[in-house]
Amino acid sequence: MSQLLPYLFLGLLLSAVLAWWVWDAIVHRRAAEVLAPRQHRSSVRSIGLQRDLGERIFGPEDWDFVSSETTWEIHRMFQHERTVLAIAWLRRTRLQVSQVMRAHLAVAQHSEDLKLATEMRLAMSYLLFLVLCNSLIGWVWLYGPVRTRKIIGQTLQWAAQLRGAFEQLMARVDPASCRVVGANLNHETVRS
Amino acid sequence: MGLERRNIDLEPAITDLRNRTLSRLPGDFSRLVYLASSRDLNTGHYSHDGLAFHFSETVASEAMAACHRQIFDRLVYASLEELIEELCNYIASTDERPEEFLKSWKHLGSYRVTIPSECDELEAEVFLSNIRMALAILQKRQKSVSQDEQSA
Repeated sequence: MSQLLPYLFLGLLLSAVLAWWVWDAIVHRRAAEVLAPRQHRSSVRSIGLQRDLGERIFGPEDWDFVSSETTWEIHRMFQHERTVLAIAWLRRTRLQVSQVMRAHLAVAQHSEDLKLATEMRLAMSYLLFLVLCNSLIGWVWLYGPVRTRKIIGQTLQWAAQLRGAFEQLMARVDPASCRVVGANLNHETVRS
Repeated sequence: MGLERRNIDLEPAITDLRNRTLSRLPGDFSRLVYLASSRDLNTGHYSHDGLAFHFSETVASEAMAACHRQIFDRLVYASLEELIEELCNYIASTDERPEEFLKSWKHLGSYRVTIPSECDELEAEVFLSNIRMALAILQKRQKSVSQDEQSA
């Protein structure tokens, strides 16, 4: 019986995280819709300016400046402001990856060229990404974005890999929808 | 194709606007405020008589909107230190007393109208958050300068 305890604990933890994610997704559905990036006209932004908002929010430069130049009141204000932005950015990242996954599922249902192993791997990656993303939201909420910066960096890399895998799959299954998804993701957030 | 064509049409107007008007303003923040104040808040259209005379009202408005977004983007991705410097330059370019300017901007939230019409929601939030930070830092600096002056 005691051998099963770690598995039971892990299962409970995973269920709790997933339940929290579902709750969070329902409660913040409206916010997520607002957070979805608007489609810009191509003239709106020059290519050189398409930088990553995540890097802007979590980058160390501002915190280094604030911590060296200002008082603790400003430190607290900075932590609070960046926490709000970081959580909004993480929710958006989650929303974007979920949109890609939904698009993939919609296309995959009509595809005859599906490889079960690849699909399973993709599904697992997606699930882990969601768990990580939700855990990060919790971490940022508890500890602030400054302390979670390193983990966020790793998540960004992972998200970029996930995006690469999605794009490869989409290109194989449906090249047309791949272009649409690519345009949505290229807007920002997950950069390879 | 249509959008590319429109970009090509806008390019001379954008260049003209940059060379004749925007380059004369001290820094990106001043340019941002200038462009935002040239916009009709009811319609979202920008007006510039000289530019409209050389091109057309529509082209002038679109060129101004494009410049507005570019400058806004630059400021969103500028570091907090750079943004503070930009804000200081802008305050210095006005004839207002810095403490009154800061107080007014903080209480009225005047900086909110500087956001372009077509911009990403989260980018706008990042910009507003950074401006709030910059104003708070400048106010602190201003207070300590005033205290130093009083004690001297």
